Amino acid sequence: MNWLLFTPEIYYLLVSLLFLGASMGGRATPGTDYIAALSAAAVGMAVTAAAVKLEGSLFAGSYRIDLLSQVFKVILSSALFLVLCICAQLNGIRERHRRDFYCLLFLCTVAMMMLVSSVHLISIYLSLELSSYSLYVLVALRKNANLGLEAGIKYFIIGIFASAMMFFGMGMVYASTGAGYLEELTEVLPGFVHDPLLMLGLLLTLSGFFFKLAVFPFHFWAPDVYQGSMNQVAAYIATASKVAAIGILLRVIAVLGEGNAYLIQVLAVLSIVSMTLGNLAAIVEHDVKRLLAYSTIAHAGYVLIGVLSASAGGYSGTVFYAMALLLMKFTVFLVVVQVASAGGNLRIEQLAGLHRRSPLLAMALLVAAFSLAGIPPTVGFTGKFLVFTAAMQKGYFTLVLIGMINVVISLYYYLMMVRAAYLLKPDEALPDLHLSLPLRTLTGALVALMLVAGSFPYPFIQAANAAVRALM
Amino acid sequence: MHMEFASFPYLSSILAACLLGFGAILLIPARHTMLIRYVSAVFSGITLIITLYLFCAYDKRVGGLQFVEKVPWIPPLGIQYFNGADGFSLPNLLLTGLVFFTGVLTMWRMETRVKEFFALYFVLVTGVFGLFMSMDLFFLFVWYDVSLIPMYLLIAVWGTTRKEYAAMKLTLFLLAGSALILPATIYLFVQSGLNTFDIVALMQPGTFGESQQKFAFIFLYLGFGILAGVWPFHTWSPIGHVAAPHAVSMVHAGVLMKIGAFGILRVAIFLCPQGWQHWSQLMALLAAIGIIYGALVGLRQTDLKYVIGYSSVSHMGIVGLGLSTLTVDGLNGAVFQMFAHGVMTALLFSSVGYIYDQTHTKSVAELGGLSRTMPVASSYFIVAALAGMGVPGLANFWAELLVFIAAFKVYPLRGVLAIAALVVSALFMLRVVQRTFYGPEKEKYARLSDVPFGLGIPRMILAVVLLLFGLFPSLMVDMIETASIPFFNGLPR
Repeated sequence: MNWLLFTPEIYYLLVSLLFLGASMGGRATPGTDYIAALSAAAVGMAVTAAAVKLEGSLFAGSYRIDLLSQVFKVILSSALFLVLCICAQLNGIRERHRRDFYCLLFLCTVAMMMLVSSVHLISIYLSLELSSYSLYVLVALRKNANLGLEAGIKYFIIGIFASAMMFFGMGMVYASTGAGYLEELTEVLPGFVHDPLLMLGLLLTLSGFFFKLAVFPFHFWAPDVYQGSMNQVAAYIATASKVAAIGILLRVIAVLGEGNAYLIQVLAVLSIVSMTLGNLAAIVEHDVKRLLAYSTIAHAGYVLIGVLSASAGGYSGTVFYAMALLLMKFTVFLVVVQVASAGGNLRIEQLAGLHRRSPLLAMALLVAAFSLAGIPPTVGFTGKFLVFTAAMQKGYFTLVLIGMINVVISLYYYLMMVRAAYLLKPDEALPDLHLSLPLRTLTGALVALMLVAGSFPYPFIQAANAAVRALM
Repeated sequence: MHMEFASFPYLSSILAACLLGFGAILLIPARHTMLIRYVSAVFSGITLIITLYLFCAYDKRVGGLQFVEKVPWIPPLGIQYFNGADGFSLPNLLLTGLVFFTGVLTMWRMETRVKEFFALYFVLVTGVFGLFMSMDLFFLFVWYDVSLIPMYLLIAVWGTTRKEYAAMKLTLFLLAGSALILPATIYLFVQSGLNTFDIVALMQPGTFGESQQKFAFIFLYLGFGILAGVWPFHTWSPIGHVAAPHAVSMVHAGVLMKIGAFGILRVAIFLCPQGWQHWSQLMALLAAIGIIYGALVGLRQTDLKYVIGYSSVSHMGIVGLGLSTLTVDGLNGAVFQMFAHGVMTALLFSSVGYIYDQTHTKSVAELGGLSRTMPVASSYFIVAALAGMGVPGLANFWAELLVFIAAFKVYPLRGVLAIAALVVSALFMLRVVQRTFYGPEKEKYARLSDVPFGLGIPRMILAVVLLLFGLFPSLMVDMIETASIPFFNGLPR
C-alpha cells in the first residue's frame, strides 16, 4: 500500500488532530491560532497541488486517486483556505471554541477529500457521514445559542433522515446486483435497467448527495441552516460542501452511463423544480444568507443540467461550474462577513451605502452577483454556457430554455443586492469599512479571477476536460 | 486554427480604446472630474475617428467582409474571437462612434458621481461596438449581455422619473431577450454539426434544414426583437428612455435598439433565411402594428421624452417593416433607417437634455416660446423633429422612402396604414414643436441662456450628419448595397 497517495488526507487529519489536542489544554491564543490555521491551510493547498498528478487506489480498491479526485481536492483545499481568510474576526463563536472550530473545519475537509475519492458504496457513505457530522457541530457552535442550536438540530435531523434513506438505497442496490464497487456496478447495471428495486435503490442513494447539494426535495434545511449558522460556516457549507457533493455525484452518475433514460428524466424534473423553486423563493427574502441559500438551491438545479447530460462535455462543464460556484459564492460571503463585522446576520437593507463605505467591496458584490446570475463575461456565465451546450447536444432544448428563463428571474434578486449597495442611502451615517491590505488584495484577486476565468476560460476548460477523462 | 489578420487590427483597436478609456477613468481619483471628462472625450473621440476611417476606407468594389481579425478562443467548442466589418455593420459602427462621442459631450456638465458614470458608460459602449463587429455567435451573445450590465446602474443611479422601476424593467426585459437568444444560438451550434460559432461558416446554404431554420428563427427574432422594440415587447423602451440620463437615452434609443435590429439581421436572417421567408408575414404585421401603435400612443404624451420614446417605437417599426419585405430595397432601407434614426434620436435626446437642464421640466404644457430665449437649442430640436417627420433633405427621408417603396410592393395594405400613421404623428410632432418653441414666451424661462458654443458641438455634429446623408444618400446606400445585394443573390430560391 502506497501511503504517499494518501498524503493530502493525512496532512489535513494531522492538522485537525493538532487543533483537537490544543483545544483540550492551554489558554486560548486567538491571534496565534488564527495564523497557525491559516498557514496550515496554505501549506495544505501546496500539498494537494503537489499531489495532483498522483494515481492509484487504496483500501482494497474502495478508494481511488485519479485526476478527478485530485482536482477536486485542490478546489476543496482552496475553499478551506479562502474561508479561513475571512475568519480573522470570529465574532460569531465564543473564544474558547476557536480551536474546536479550526479542528472541525480541517476534519470536515479531510472527509470531503475522502468523499471525492471514494469508489465503493461503503466508503462513500462513511466519508459523507464524517463530513456531515463535522458540519452539524460547526453549525451549532454559534454564540447565539438559540439560532445556532436550532439550525444545528434542523440540519442534523434532515441530514440523518437523508443518510438513512441513502443507506437503505445502497442496501437495495447491493441486494439486487451484489456489487459494491462503482466499477462493478458499471458492468452489471445494463443488465438491470428494468429492475424496479434497483431503480428505487439508486434514487434513494442519490438522495444523500441531493441533500448535500440542496436539490429539491432535500433542500428544506438550506435557508434555516444558512441563517442560523455563523457567516463563515455558512460560507464553508455554500462552497466546499457543494463542491464535494458535485464531485461524488459525478462519479456516481458516470457509473450509470448514458443508457438510463428513466433516471435522466427524474434528474431533469428535479433540476427544473430546484431552479424554479430556488429562484422564486429567493425573490421575497430580505436576509442575505437566506437569499443565498435559495440561490444555492437554484444553482444545484443548474449543476444537475450538466450532470444529467451524461457526456464528457456535461461532466467537464459541471467541474467548471464547481470552480465557478466556489469563486462567486465565496466572494458574496466575503462581503457579508465584512459588512456584518459584529458576526450577526445581514439584511439586504444593511448593504445600503456600501459603494461609499467600501467601493472595492461594492464592486466585488456587483461582479459576484452578475456572475451568480450568469451574465458574461463572468465565470458564472461560462459555466452555464458549458452545461447548457452539453444539454443541448443531448437535445434538451426545453431544459435549456427553462434554465435561461430562470437566469432572468434570478437576476431580479441579485440586482436587489446591487441596488442596496449602489442606490440606497443608509438611515444613519455608517463609518467607512477599512479592509486590511491582504484582504483587499484577496478581494481584488477574486474579482479579477471571476472576470479572467470568464473571459479566457480555455485553460480552466482544459483542466476540467482532463479531470473528467478519468470518468469516461 | 491560427490567428489571421487582414490588416492592422482596426476593429480591435476600437475595443482597446474603449477599454483603455475605462481603465484610465478607474485610475483617476474621483475628485478630478474635469480630467475624467477630458479623458472620456479623448478616448471616445478616438473611436469616432477610427469608425469614420473604416467607413471611408472600406473597399466598396471588393465588398464582403473586410478588416478581418481571427483568434482561436476556446478551440474545443470552435469559439473564435472573429471580427469583421461589412456594409451592414459599418453604418452601425459609425453610428455608435458618433453617439458615443456626442454623448460624452452632452454629459459635460453632469456633476453626480462623474467617475462611475463615465466608467459604466464606457463598458456599455464597449459591448455595443463588440456586437456590431463580431462575426462569432458566441462573442456576439457575450457582447449583447455586456452592453446590458451597466444599463441598470446607469438608469437607476443617474436617471429621473421612476428610475428604479424603469431600470429594473428594462434590465429584465432585455435579459429575457437573451434567454430566448442563447438557447437558439446553442441549438444552431449543435445542429450544424460543424463545431463552430463562426457566422460565415454557419451561413453557408444547406447548413440547416428548413424546419430547423423556422424553429430557431422565431426564438432569435423574438429575442432580438425585444431589444429592437418590436411591438408588443416594446414596453420597456419608452419608460427606459424617459428615465435614463440624457447620454444614456441617446445610446439607448440611438444605438441599443439598433443592436436588436442588427441581431435580427446578422443572426436570425443570415443563419435562417428560410425561417425569415417563413415568418416574414408575422414580422410585417408586428412592425406595422408597432408603427401605428407608436404613433398613436405618442399623440397622447405630454412629456417631451415620452414623445421621443414612442416615436422611437414607431420608427423602429419601419426598420422591422423593411426587414420583413424580403427585398434588397427593404434591407437597404432598414439599415439606412437604423443609422438615420440613431442619429436623429440622439440629436433629439441631446437637445431635450439641454432644455431640461435649463428649465427642469420636460412637460410640453409647461414649456413655450423657447425659440426666443434659446434659438440655437431650439433649432437643433426642430432639425431632428423634421428629420423624424421624414422631410426631404435629411437622412431619414431616404431611409423611409426605401422601406415604403419596398413595403408597398409586398404588403400594400400594411404599407398604406403605416404611412398614414406616420403622417398623423408628423402633424402631432409639429404641434409639439409649435407649443414648445413658439407661442407666447413664458416669463420664468425668459432669463435662460442659449447653448454655448462648446456645448453645442455634439448637437452640431449630429445635425450635420443628418444633413450630409440627406443630401448625399448614395454615400450610405452604396455602402449597404455591398452587403445586401450579394446576400440577396446568395439566398436559396
